[in-house]
Amino acid sequence: MTAPRTTLALLLFAPLAFFAAFFVAPMVVVALSSITADDGALTAAHYARILLDQYHWDVLWVTFRIALLTTLICMLVGFPLAWYLVRIVRWRAWRRACVILIIVPLFTSNIVRSFGWMVLLGRTGLVNQGLMGLGLTERPIRFLGTETGILIGLVYILVPFVVLTVGNALAKIDTAYEEASADLGVGPARTFWFVTLPLTLPGAVSGAIMVFALAVSAYVTPALLSGGQITVFSMLIFQQYSSVFDFHYGAALSITLLVLTLVLVTVAGRIGEGRKPA
Amino acid sequence: MQPLLTIESVSKRFAGHQALHEVDLAIDGGEFIALLGPSGCGKTTLLRCIAGFLKPDDGRILIEGADITGAPPYRRPLNTVFQSYALFPHMSVADNVAYGPRRAGTGRAEAQSRAREALALVGLEEMGERLPRALSGGQQQRVALARAIVNRPKLLLLDEPLSALDLKLRRRMQIELKHIQEKLGIAFIFVTHDQEEAMAMANRIVVMNAGRIEQIGTPADIYRAPASRFVAEFVGEPNLIPVEPAGPGRMRLKVTGAELPYAEGVRCVMARPEDLVLVDGTPPADLATAAGIVEEVVAVGPVTTLFVRCGDVVLKVARLGMSAAALHPGSAVTLGLRVSALHPIVE
Repeated sequence: MTAPRTTLALLLFAPLAFFAAFFVAPMVVVALSSITADDGALTAAHYARILLDQYHWDVLWVTFRIALLTTLICMLVGFPLAWYLVRIVRWRAWRRACVILIIVPLFTSNIVRSFGWMVLLGRTGLVNQGLMGLGLTERPIRFLGTETGILIGLVYILVPFVVLTVGNALAKIDTAYEEASADLGVGPARTFWFVTLPLTLPGAVSGAIMVFALAVSAYVTPALLSGGQITVFSMLIFQQYSSVFDFHYGAALSITLLVLTLVLVTVAGRIGEGRKPA
Repeated sequence: MQPLLTIESVSKRFAGHQALHEVDLAIDGGEFIALLGPSGCGKTTLLRCIAGFLKPDDGRILIEGADITGAPPYRRPLNTVFQSYALFPHMSVADNVAYGPRRAGTGRAEAQSRAREALALVGLEEMGERLPRALSGGQQQRVALARAIVNRPKLLLLDEPLSALDLKLRRRMQIELKHIQEKLGIAFIFVTHDQEEAMAMANRIVVMNAGRIEQIGTPADIYRAPASRFVAEFVGEPNLIPVEPAGPGRMRLKVTGAELPYAEGVRCVMARPEDLVLVDGTPPADLATAAGIVEEVVAVGPVTTLFVRCGDVVLKVARLGMSAAALHPGSAVTLGLRVSALHPIVE
């Protein structure tokens, strides 16, 4: 049976239209806006203003440093968690409970969760009380308004993405590969390093890219936990759009962040591709 | 001389299911052993216990007298060819084969040259640079074999390694595997559910059923003198002819009326389809005869099988070639069988 041409055309067109309307069009609007002046004339002045100003480079450096550190810590925390869920837990009900525990926070607003951390990380918050109670520190540690505070908040929010992607990759690895390695005389630690890790790399890289992209563009968490002491790039964009109302300049900032992020993500993707398994 | 591998009353239970029940087995160096049985009979469980992927609940496994029951797989002096081959997808063929020696601390050049040697043995020396997924199933199978023999183990375990190949390739690999085994002098334990494969390759066959060993013997032993009805039916096509008591120390074949000496517990005797002949005219004196009606003729080329009804028993008669294909269902024939060829089945 062949579908009528019109039906086929519609089937092809519908997703294309959706994609164009919600992904391409906004992008084009922002990109155009970033290279036009108030009077509509083409200009590169916004970009010149960004790239020639050391302040922007400083903010970019802070932003990318926080995002990279967040990604790194998320991987270090998320990989063992994923391993535990996929390889260690034998009891299905408990595994399901763990997965739900990991996913449920994703249903809550970032604002609520970041506020939660503001309370926990404050001078008299639970974290400092705990640390002092255990005698690990004499005076409260300052978390709010530091990069550490922002990192804690971002890692907390983004770790589930790593657990899910890496867990998925781990679950797909045929255990026969690890058995084959053991059979060839290689112990568990080196089997992990030479067989399991390379096979999970594509999943890990896609998880890392997701975390990095979300961390680099995060606004709410840094804004709430920075206490005005630290500026990340998304805050600059927000200021331009919501306070200064300079949409052209805001657009140029957005595009700058987008391009730099894409470059980094592409490089990371290439690294992942180079060792891609079947 | 002590055996290469000794299995002493090994038992294994999985959640309420007895996978292995006090299995005993001894294997000498250089033997080609087939573990034969239907799926779920415990043959793969036994293999995984020997490889160390499963720990027996009871019993001991020894290699050259050393107890390895509790040793992890990476401390056992044996290698495995996996059913799925389990070639590392992120490594080239040569790196796959060199993996064992390389990780054991052999230098890169030495490991690569041993890998080349092993690949040459399986006829794939040109394929070293490829990734496993670029190879055909038969080639992947050879790489898995090369990887498993590169360390020259004394014992190689093969878990249905040919089951994914088509019939022609499978036949060729059977012969090739046998040649490689003889050349290297490594003992092979080969798991299969295909009785022809077991008979084509093995020096000794271990027939398993429901977690127990039913019989251990040469292919001829297993085929001619099965120890149980299960073995008779699993290996080849048996004619199981019922017998009835015929006076003290005698029993009588229900079909031909021929008499045999009685043995305890025998309710039937086995004749293979090729033991039965079609008789024209007067039969020789040593043949017992029975009249029958042909019910079906199945001619597959080298062999034609007749299904002949004699009273309430249907007997299978095998004839070489297509000559018997001329017979039609309904034809009356006279069957002859040599009483000395009959094997009593003890139950």
